[in-house]
Amino acid sequence: MFKNNLRIAIRQLTKNRTYALLNILGLAIGIAASLLIYRILRYELSFNQNFSNSERIVRVLTKTTGSENGDQTSRGLPIPGMAAIEQSISQFAHSTRLHEDWPTITIPKAGGGPPLKKISISQSEISFFAEPGFVKIFDLTWLAGNPETALNEVGDIVLTRRVAEFCFGKVENALEKTVVMNNNVPCIVRGVIEDLPSNCDFPIFTLASYETLRAYASLYFFREEEWGSISSNDQFFALLQDKNQFSAASSAMAQVGQHELNERKKKRNLHTSFVLQSLGDMHYDEEVGSAGTHTISWSRLWVLGTIGLLVLLMACFNFINLATALSTMRAREVGVRKALGSNRNSLIAQFMTETSLIVAFSLAVGVGLAFVCAPLLKHISDVPDTQPFLSDPILWLFLAVIGVLVTLLSGFYPSLVLSGFSPIKALRSNLTTAKGGGVSLRKILVVSQFTIAQALIIGAVVTISQLNYIREMDLGFNKDLVLTTRFNADSIGLTKLATMKQRLLQLPKVEYVSFSSDLPASGNTWSSNFNIDRRPEEPDFHTSVKLCDEDYQKTFGLEMLAGHWFTASDTVKEYVVNETMCRKLGMAPEEIVGKVFRLGGQSWFPIVGVVKDFHSHSLHEEYEALTLLPNKTFYSGIGIKIRPGDISGTTNAIRSVYDETFPEQVFESEFFDESIANFYESESRFSDFCKGIAALAILIGCLGLFGLATHAAARRTKEIGVRKVLGASVGNITGLLTRDFLALVLLAILIATPLAYYFMDKWLSDFVFRIDMKWWMFAMACSGAVLVAFFTVSFQSLKAALANPVNSLRTE
Amino acid sequence: MIELKDIERYFQTGSLKTYVLRYVTAKILEGEFVSIMGPSGAGKSTLLNIIGMLEEPTAGEYWFLGEGVHKFNERRRAEMYREYIGFVFQAYHLIDDLTVYENLEAPLIYKKVPSAERKSRIADLLDRFNIVAKKDLFPNQLSGGQQQLVGIARALIGRPKLILADEPTGNLQSQQAEEIMSIFQQLNKEEGVTIIQVTHSEENAGYGNRILNLKDGKIDA
Repeated sequence: MFKNNLRIAIRQLTKNRTYALLNILGLAIGIAASLLIYRILRYELSFNQNFSNSERIVRVLTKTTGSENGDQTSRGLPIPGMAAIEQSISQFAHSTRLHEDWPTITIPKAGGGPPLKKISISQSEISFFAEPGFVKIFDLTWLAGNPETALNEVGDIVLTRRVAEFCFGKVENALEKTVVMNNNVPCIVRGVIEDLPSNCDFPIFTLASYETLRAYASLYFFREEEWGSISSNDQFFALLQDKNQFSAASSAMAQVGQHELNERKKKRNLHTSFVLQSLGDMHYDEEVGSAGTHTISWSRLWVLGTIGLLVLLMACFNFINLATALSTMRAREVGVRKALGSNRNSLIAQFMTETSLIVAFSLAVGVGLAFVCAPLLKHISDVPDTQPFLSDPILWLFLAVIGVLVTLLSGFYPSLVLSGFSPIKALRSNLTTAKGGGVSLRKILVVSQFTIAQALIIGAVVTISQLNYIREMDLGFNKDLVLTTRFNADSIGLTKLATMKQRLLQLPKVEYVSFSSDLPASGNTWSSNFNIDRRPEEPDFHTSVKLCDEDYQKTFGLEMLAGHWFTASDTVKEYVVNETMCRKLGMAPEEIVGKVFRLGGQSWFPIVGVVKDFHSHSLHEEYEALTLLPNKTFYSGIGIKIRPGDISGTTNAIRSVYDETFPEQVFESEFFDESIANFYESESRFSDFCKGIAALAILIGCLGLFGLATHAAARRTKEIGVRKVLGASVGNITGLLTRDFLALVLLAILIATPLAYYFMDKWLSDFVFRIDMKWWMFAMACSGAVLVAFFTVSFQSLKAALANPVNSLRTE
Repeated sequence: MIELKDIERYFQTGSLKTYVLRYVTAKILEGEFVSIMGPSGAGKSTLLNIIGMLEEPTAGEYWFLGEGVHKFNERRRAEMYREYIGFVFQAYHLIDDLTVYENLEAPLIYKKVPSAERKSRIADLLDRFNIVAKKDLFPNQLSGGQQQLVGIARALIGRPKLILADEPTGNLQSQQAEEIMSIFQQLNKEEGVTIIQVTHSEENAGYGNRILNLKDGKIDA
């Protein structure tokens, strides 16, 4: 019986090749798209699961509430705060202070001279100064060395396999060897750990003992007493004794350091405290961020998941639609079979066999498509190629569920309807079918399908406009033709900077050279308390700080609103603040120039200029109050403004100056516009993702419409013939067939537009700098959908209209 | 009105030609009532389809009102249907989704007849064929004879010069058939409409004034 059913099913499919193909293709594309999205979700949700204690690991954040900009949370802690936490929280089994660093590792040559080997940390990696507690909290895979003692003493360093193999060829050779960190800190390799997986927010390059940081405190500007200075570089992690103690530890944490944290904040409603966050939430906290390559908010994950589900739903609707349309064409066959004595169940079995065959085909094609397209994922997401795909058991479960659901949904309905036909009625109906449930269900499906498609398209148009707006926004500085590179300088290195600048400026194409701690736009945050004009109470907000030299303004094209940039100096003698600082203090730019200013507890110096606001952080954030000052000891970056022409020659010349100045360091340069582009990479990828989804939505929608139009034309063959001999023109007929579908599409637009408006409005509200939704965005999306639908449908309709009526009017 | 010169219609399968019509030459004048007769498979319907411009001859010339039909394009043919030709089918071929009234209205809409005139013309015909009470019914609610009445009314509503009927009474009982045929005769005599019908029945052919006998695709004189 089953074999017989299968044979008939295969025959049916080969007979109706177009339908079968449309069906399979539509569903396969939907399945492939949802599989790819599933892959992204699975990857993002797997973060930090590699640590066996992941449920007990927590980190401490500093949260300030009551500010006019809303709550602000930082992953950085004041260092004395860490000591207070260690003393007060009893629920921690282990804890570790961390200090982020981006070192260069060199193997010194015995007797001096250029190093034997040097390796710099890459952009996606991080190094920590960590306490011995680190290895207790995070279970790393140790390839060599004793984890118990590896981070105890000054100069202890642990390398990852990558670094060890680069430096010493083999992991085994690395132990107890000497390497130099940042050209200044000699270290002994006490251990080698396996490289961390990509789905982990600790892409470790090296680990050095916290004692090393203390020993070289001046080199790293490490001050254990400053409560007022909070840097995102200084972090604190701990391991709870038991995962149920989270709330107890949280409430204890709220009391820690209250006096010191709020000492300077006389304004009542502003309040700072330490809060606990579990490791499980870290990867999804976009505001606070992590040491990893990226974070992704829950809301974005929800959006992704919803889109995946919607695309799949669209494809299923499409499938159900086509399947029911196709099966109603077989009313006559049902009549004959019934007249021959077939019972209802065997008819249902027959139709279900056919449906499951198509679904099975679609699943296979879908998986194939997803597999082929998987490498493309890295262009729109952070998923690396190494992420397992077909070996993931949950994926197969997911596929099985889709298969069963789609088969039941799309096979059951038509088989039930068809098998319920009375044989005489079914036999009589020649080509035309009875009106009723089938038609209206089909219309509902088409409308829902197009509603989804339309909403996705509007969403994509709005998203792309917003992201373009961000990318092309006036950042407040000039990012073109600025070459940037980094260096690690000790006190000797710092003495070379002046000479280096002179040598660079002698290059014909170099216009300006500037040393600084940070680029105008960077992910680093350093904020501090401050005072102005010797006020009795300090202002109730912090200022961001950037340290830079006298040529910073010219190099990056910053605009002055009042006063002038500070003059050349190795240490602070003058300050420049930004527009937002003036606004927050309620002073005009002209007014603030000349006032004395103090950062933290340092000495008073005058403000000499006000710079126009520029985007120092992500465009998700508002402008912050910012203070710029020179302080040579903090400089680690070089910005070089070059003139157009012979860029590679100039870059090479700059490289040789760099190599001669810092022979032990690695020259890695990047043009500033590229690094800005990297800064907004996740936005740009999301925009690409949206484009892809919109295209898919249109494609699936059109496949469905095409199939339905074909079906409608076939069903109405006789009517078309009659109308033609009554004198209807091709245009009349095409219009007749197209009109019905366009009405459905228009209805879908009517439903989708307010829905899309509501959700996109919510999405946009997350951005501080955002576009207004304009009518043309909706008009564009709508007219696009209508046009595409029109062409799809009218192609079939035109074909039907051009057919010779004599064929359809033959008397049977 | 109609002039056929050596009309041929054949299907080619490989090198084998299967003729449906061969060397058909005929002249039909305005006001004639012609019956095409012949055994099954003689090519009657094909000839009628060619006359009705639904099929094209493989060879030969066809002149309609002095114009060469072989030069007509799709649009010109649709114009002919609107202005000069009305079709009556054996299987009625009413549009299932439209009521009687709407079925009658369809050709007038294609002719761009204004709404008021459409109403009066439809009312006239409904009255004349005694089907006023049926105007809001759908085709499947009518008997075969009533459907064919609507079919004829629809063919007439555009005031054609030529009516082509392919076995118009083939599906009807004799009493209904007689009724339909007398309507044809009346149209032909009183309004001078040219009628060409395909029929099996000598009796029906008797209503007309000329018979074209087809045998094996040729006119049997």
